[in-house]
Amino acid sequence: MTSSPRSVVRFLGPWCVGLLMLTAFPAVASLVLSMTESSNSLKTEASSWVGVEHYRNAVEFNLDYEPKSADPIAWRLLGGKPIDEDLFRSLVNSITYAQLSVPISLISALAVALLLNRSSPGMRFFRGFVYLPHLLGGVATIVIWSWLFNPQFGWINQFIRLVYRVLDPLVQIIDARGTSQWMTPDWLYSPSWCMPALLLMSAWTMGGAMLIFLAALRGIPKTLYDAAHLDGASARRSFFHITWPQLTPAMLFNMLVGTVFAMQAFAEPYLLANRKQDDGLLLFVLQLYRVAFEPPYKLNYACAMAWIFVVILAVMVVPIFWTARRWVFEPARADA
Amino acid sequence: MNERRSIGKTTSLYVALVCVSALMLLPVVWAAVSSLKPLDEVYQFPPSFSVSTPQWSNYHEAVTRLPVLRFLMNSLLITGASVVGAVLTSSMAGYALARMRFRGRRLCFALVILSMLIPAQALLVPRFLLYDTLGWVNTYKPLIVPAWLGGGAFNIFLFRQFFRSIPFAYNDAACLDGATDWQTYWHIILPIAKPATVTAAMLSFVFNWQDFMDPLIYLSDFQTYPISLGLRMHQSMAGTWANLLMATSLIALVPIVIVFLVSERQLMRGLDVVSGSSKDEM
Repeated sequence: MTSSPRSVVRFLGPWCVGLLMLTAFPAVASLVLSMTESSNSLKTEASSWVGVEHYRNAVEFNLDYEPKSADPIAWRLLGGKPIDEDLFRSLVNSITYAQLSVPISLISALAVALLLNRSSPGMRFFRGFVYLPHLLGGVATIVIWSWLFNPQFGWINQFIRLVYRVLDPLVQIIDARGTSQWMTPDWLYSPSWCMPALLLMSAWTMGGAMLIFLAALRGIPKTLYDAAHLDGASARRSFFHITWPQLTPAMLFNMLVGTVFAMQAFAEPYLLANRKQDDGLLLFVLQLYRVAFEPPYKLNYACAMAWIFVVILAVMVVPIFWTARRWVFEPARADA
Repeated sequence: MNERRSIGKTTSLYVALVCVSALMLLPVVWAAVSSLKPLDEVYQFPPSFSVSTPQWSNYHEAVTRLPVLRFLMNSLLITGASVVGAVLTSSMAGYALARMRFRGRRLCFALVILSMLIPAQALLVPRFLLYDTLGWVNTYKPLIVPAWLGGGAFNIFLFRQFFRSIPFAYNDAACLDGATDWQTYWHIILPIAKPATVTAAMLSFVFNWQDFMDPLIYLSDFQTYPISLGLRMHQSMAGTWANLLMATSLIALVPIVIVFLVSERQLMRGLDVVSGSSKDEM
């Protein structure tokens, strides 16, 4: 039975309006804005067409510049200096963050899901403990972490100092000074340690990915393991030949969601960035926010930045899709 | 021998799980301990792992130093209004995509999935200009109205997957009895889909409660700030009042923990259905 158009409109109406008004129209507007320049940035009336100028300014390199050894590696590789250094920096940071945080989170999520995938008592309790941080991740926990990472008064460095103290007698055998000269990281107050701090924070919220893995693990038919066991397969072989292939769809999903999510991080860098980091936490969305909503409000340029970001995100995500056919296991479908 | 081995295995499993849970709890315990310390103990080197005398008055001071209760009420208002809209409109869209037959249904579903992949930040500027033109800046409208217009692609997906797992005989029976689409949805299918409703409500609650970027862009009067922005204000004083900041942070987390505890059973069922079925969609 086909539903009447009137009731279809009634059910899909709100979503349709939202799609047109909040996604389709802004997308077109953003494209137009990115190719114009307004004299008064908040009023778009008096604007002139500039074509791809904003895009060129965003990606262009000053090739006359001779990179020095102190400059970022990327500059030396590309043999020049980006015109918009901050944008370049923020993109490199965001891509680095995504490429590191996704594997770290997914490996820990998978390890915990494998631990939790049994019917022993208390599993529901532990599952709640691991999942809850995923929901708690926000301004409040970012603030808590920043204080936890405090080099002087935070517990993390205090733990490290305790470990040093335990190791001290052992180290003295080799080096008379022991661990007394060993440093503790400055975390959020250091250009090289701020990114590891952010990665630790992101690993803490891996509960969402863990839950997806757990659901996939529970969906694996038990008979597969029984058959493997009868054939004398070792636990390792069962893992690589049964568990892993059956997990690959969940892996694909988590990789896609994780990458998109990591590239969109904003509250973390906004709240944690400080001068001592030397822009180590300047992620792309923070840079976008600064360009658009802080003086001199370069809204048109920000639109061009956003489109470059979309292209980069697509370049990161599309290969995952393309290669998916090779490594994602497709079960023979019951209804096919 | 076999039994001894399995006892050893079980013990190591629990030891590992307790360690993982302890790591997960670490920031919360840290915040709780710090929030109860007197100020001189907070800035004491080396930091202690416990409190000598818990100073409960810190919590009172934390909520009075800044209008934290006001912030919480604002958050509750924004979040409540958004959750209702998100659950209602996303379940309607999900229902149409799962249980109604019409031309263009596959296209609509493809658009839902596609819109899930567009990063919201890409549309930051045009959306701001749109709301500015409508005169919505400095009101709650930019934070609430989007929830009433589809309620998020993920929620639509969740409802659609859940609705599809309900036998179609319900619709046929309702149709024979002369029920309209709306009556079937409202009185029959939606009540059956309680795990999906609870999951969508829970996830939108958390999403809106934690949202930081939209309030930051659209609100400038601090009397209207939700708790996420209020905490940000508080953070600028972190150097001086770390114990109060930790107390406020914990207060901001309480509603999420409560909502999680209340909905945990349904939430796990809801997420199970979605992640189980997402397999054959990908």
